[in-house]
Amino acid sequence: MICCKECIDLLYDYIEGLLDQDTSKSLEEHFEECPPCIAFLNTYKSTTTICRDTLNQIEIPDEVRLTLQSFLKAQKDQQDKK
Amino acid sequence: MSFTQQKEDREIEEALVKDFQAGNLDAYDKIAELYQKKIYALSFNLVRNQMDAQDVAQEVLLTLFRKIHTFQGKSAFSSWVYRITLNASYMKLRSKKKEPNISIDELLPSFNGAGFQQEKIQDWSENTESLMFTNETREVINKAVGLLPEKEKVVFLLRDVEGLSTEKVSEILDLTIPAVKSRLHRARLFLRKKLSGYFEEYNSQKGEI
Repeated sequence: MICCKECIDLLYDYIEGLLDQDTSKSLEEHFEECPPCIAFLNTYKSTTTICRDTLNQIEIPDEVRLTLQSFLKAQKDQQDKK
Repeated sequence: MSFTQQKEDREIEEALVKDFQAGNLDAYDKIAELYQKKIYALSFNLVRNQMDAQDVAQEVLLTLFRKIHTFQGKSAFSSWVYRITLNASYMKLRSKKKEPNISIDELLPSFNGAGFQQEKIQDWSENTESLMFTNETREVINKAVGLLPEKEKVVFLLRDVEGLSTEKVSEILDLTIPAVKSRLHRARLFLRKKLSGYFEEYNSQKGEI
């Protein structure tokens, strides 16, 4: 029988589908009897999703894009002169 | 993205790199265009402000320009770019005053002697939708990620945010696969705990109405 500690240690591989069938089955048996671990699993998964969605919103601001563009142009002009 | 698409993208990229190495500056433009958002976003998530992220992006583009002849193709070109971006971001961070790191262990789950979880776990996963993309939530998330120790943070940014494979992250950071997994797991546990406080409070407030 798996305890909560083992359950949380296995979460990563469980979500990635890397556990063998037997371990995966015992983990699911644990979930059936342990609502806190289901809550943990759900919030563990949510954490990844909401962090990714939030941090992925970063766009290059226009002024940075322009600075980079002129920077690149200056580099190339310098190269051309050589 | 399909496998064929990925393969095509990689071939196009390899051709661009070769052209650039041969002195074709248009190829450099295209490479810069392909990578500048990735470079900026990764460095922004590490240095946390626009000015510094811009400096880092500039530095990285310059390094690509000057050092392209040293790229030998032993690892993927993208891995090389990510490594240069990480190094430049760390240099930037080092030049600033360092904030004290908090210990990640304090925020990992705790268990009693029988291996049961000691704290009460609430399931707030169903209630994040309405809070997503509000400024407050964004701030809470950014702050939580900002508090991650560097080793865990970089793995989290590359694997979970950037969406790279475990193998690729291990190549970029020169870590074993188990080390990548263990750091990522610790980062997720840390962030889950940090976010729990926020979402649980929201849940309980909603319950009172």
